[in-house]
Amino acid sequence: MSTYIRIEDLHKSFKNKNEKTEVLKGIDLSINKGEIYGIVGFSGAGKSTLVRCINRLEEPDSGKVWIGDTEITALNKKQLTERRKKIGMIFQQFNLFDSMTVFKNIAYPLKLVGTPKKEIEKKVDKLLELVGLSDKKNAYPGSLSGGQKQRVGIARSLANDPDVLLSDEATSALDPVSTLSILDLLAQINDELGVTIIMITHELEAAKRICGKIAVLENGVITEKGNTRDIFLDPKSSTGKIFLEVYREFRQEHTYSGGGGI
Amino acid sequence: MSFSKYPFWEVVKHAFSKEVWDTLWPAVWDTLYMVVLSALITLVLGVLLGIALSVISKDGVRPIPVLNETAGTIVNCLRSLPQMIMIIVTLPLARMILGQSYGVNACIIALAASCIPMYARLVQGAFVEIPKGKIEAAKAMGSSSATIVFRVMLPEAVPSIIRGFTVALIGIISMTALAGSFGAGGIGDIAVRFGFNRFYHDMLIASVLVLIVMVEIAQIFGDLLSNLILRKRHLI
Repeated sequence: MSTYIRIEDLHKSFKNKNEKTEVLKGIDLSINKGEIYGIVGFSGAGKSTLVRCINRLEEPDSGKVWIGDTEITALNKKQLTERRKKIGMIFQQFNLFDSMTVFKNIAYPLKLVGTPKKEIEKKVDKLLELVGLSDKKNAYPGSLSGGQKQRVGIARSLANDPDVLLSDEATSALDPVSTLSILDLLAQINDELGVTIIMITHELEAAKRICGKIAVLENGVITEKGNTRDIFLDPKSSTGKIFLEVYREFRQEHTYSGGGGI
Repeated sequence: MSFSKYPFWEVVKHAFSKEVWDTLWPAVWDTLYMVVLSALITLVLGVLLGIALSVISKDGVRPIPVLNETAGTIVNCLRSLPQMIMIIVTLPLARMILGQSYGVNACIIALAASCIPMYARLVQGAFVEIPKGKIEAAKAMGSSSATIVFRVMLPEAVPSIIRGFTVALIGIISMTALAGSFGAGGIGDIAVRFGFNRFYHDMLIASVLVLIVMVEIAQIFGDLLSNLILRKRHLI
């Protein structure tokens, strides 16, 4: 497998009046095609900023981002808008449009690229089947549960057959059961459609379940990256160690209470 | 009939007599004409201006700082004028455009000049209320700025825009009554000429009733429509 997404020396800082906070301090990352790559770290580590730099919802100060042969950071506004149509993104807060039905939410990106009506109908039905929400086609997002909303979000992000799916804390607002089902859905999508998934999370459990590789982000620096297995067995960075400790305690608690863990 | 000459209930009763309403009805129609026309103008131009203000603002979809500052200052200037002053100020303008500075049409200019900026700010507020994440989602999917504004933000903001319009409509009704005393005609004119100058208190009571009914209808209808949409979207 070859490198598909390449991030080179990415820097980003936010200016707040006189204060300048450096959020990303030179990120280098290579992600292979068809991988599920986890980026883990505590709140404020810069995970979200990093993933938002990939589709330039956040403009990096310096550094390069490549997806395939396209240098994303070199695109002008119009080219970027075009390229974004092939980069899916899902969010912690789902960000569905309340004014549209589930069908129209999923049809929205298809309309952006001028898909004919009949094809939209077909494609949306297929996506709804994939995420298991065929019966909610004409419901409004307001009437759905969190897990269902995220399924609609996933269907919407997949509408234009993206090659990359960015997941920004997609399961962090969900209960444990919905979290598992969404994670399994992401794994299924990765398996069936071959979409490369970059997954931001602060839940190690989530990363462990589906990510082949992970990178640990700490204060804007990647302190550790590699196969999920290796990092779980022998974490080198402090965040990695703390994470694992918390994770083990969590499992123990759940085992003692008879829950058997997640 | 005046309170000073007749017992209170006699005056109130007479407020519903044919004699009073024969004078009042034409004025009611004049007022309705002014309110409906200004409301339509306010709705269209207010929504457009409101959209423009939110789009070019600092956190908008297409920030244009210089234009934003200028437009903001003009809107604030127009808004800071009390309605009565606005009516007086726009009188020469009405003469220039319509050839006369009195009558129902002349007043519509003042009404629009006063209510459009007010409503535009309410529309802008409705746009600001939209969670930023939704706009980001639209951006991430590759939407152009125009698509984001008209296909995402506008539909999302409709319930708030309607609620804002109710407020603007009630403002228009109250201002119409005020404009009556500056030659616009309508209920305000009746209330001042008969109710105030000639102590026809029955006429005054009838005028007040008409205004209350108009405002109530606007409020009830606005709430109904906005809630209907929110309920359809399962947001309440």
